[in-house]
Amino acid sequence: MDVGQLQRQFIDYTASLFREMKKEWRGFLDDQFTQLRKLQDENNPDFVFEVVSLFFVDSEKLVNNMAKALEQSTVEFKQVDAHVHQFKGSSSSIGAHRVKNVCAAFRSFCEQQNIDGSAGGSIPMVE
Amino acid sequence: MEKMGFGNVTSTSKTMKIIDTEKKISVLIVEDDLLIQKIHKVMMTKFGTEVQLATNGKEAVDLFLSGASFDLVLTDLEMPIMDGIEATKQLRSMGVTSMIVGVTSRNQDSEIQAFMNAGLNACYVKPLNAEKVTVVLNELKNI
Repeated sequence: MDVGQLQRQFIDYTASLFREMKKEWRGFLDDQFTQLRKLQDENNPDFVFEVVSLFFVDSEKLVNNMAKALEQSTVEFKQVDAHVHQFKGSSSSIGAHRVKNVCAAFRSFCEQQNIDGSAGGSIPMVE
Repeated sequence: MEKMGFGNVTSTSKTMKIIDTEKKISVLIVEDDLLIQKIHKVMMTKFGTEVQLATNGKEAVDLFLSGASFDLVLTDLEMPIMDGIEATKQLRSMGVTSMIVGVTSRNQDSEIQAFMNAGLNACYVKPLNAEKVTVVLNELKNI
């Protein structure tokens, strides 16, 4: 097999991989992500990668902060709510609508817990 | 509530400065979250505007106090040191007539109304997207 054939195979393979990834993403990422992809150009060649990387770094930090806040003997739900609010903002800006929806549900839970002043009830699962 | 449109201007913001259509529209993005800063900056630059960043309301106010001016201010609500409501109130009391548009994760009517009452021209719920930016820039060009 010559270099040209290998190159063509590689291009075909990455194209099919991208098509498969798009099918997976569609369940998790909404039209906002499509808009972000359109912002990538020669002036911002790595825009999507940079934005997704920032989102993962942000998410890890926020989830850790939420976990720490929830581990306290007396949970400050306002503090948890602040972290969830930030997570909701960044997830909606990148198009991660499922994460955004879970955050919205979680925020309602935190508001209710703050009103009730109790830590009872179940916390919505965050994958 | 998704947005409050350009019909609801306050008396302090009715007078708009005349924009020179030959130069680029200057935009100040006031946002503490680095991810959203990056997205909004690239989006606004793509629309041909000149973008500067401030990471909180105080930085935005200080920029205007130092003599900077912008055609459009896009401001988040919740930020450390000085939030969007306080920053907008201060800018309007300083006599700033730039278009100020809120972009917030808050979506309760009362929260958006409180933000609008500070002196915004309009308020949008995040995420900012091409459709919302087009509406804002068209409004800016029409005044």
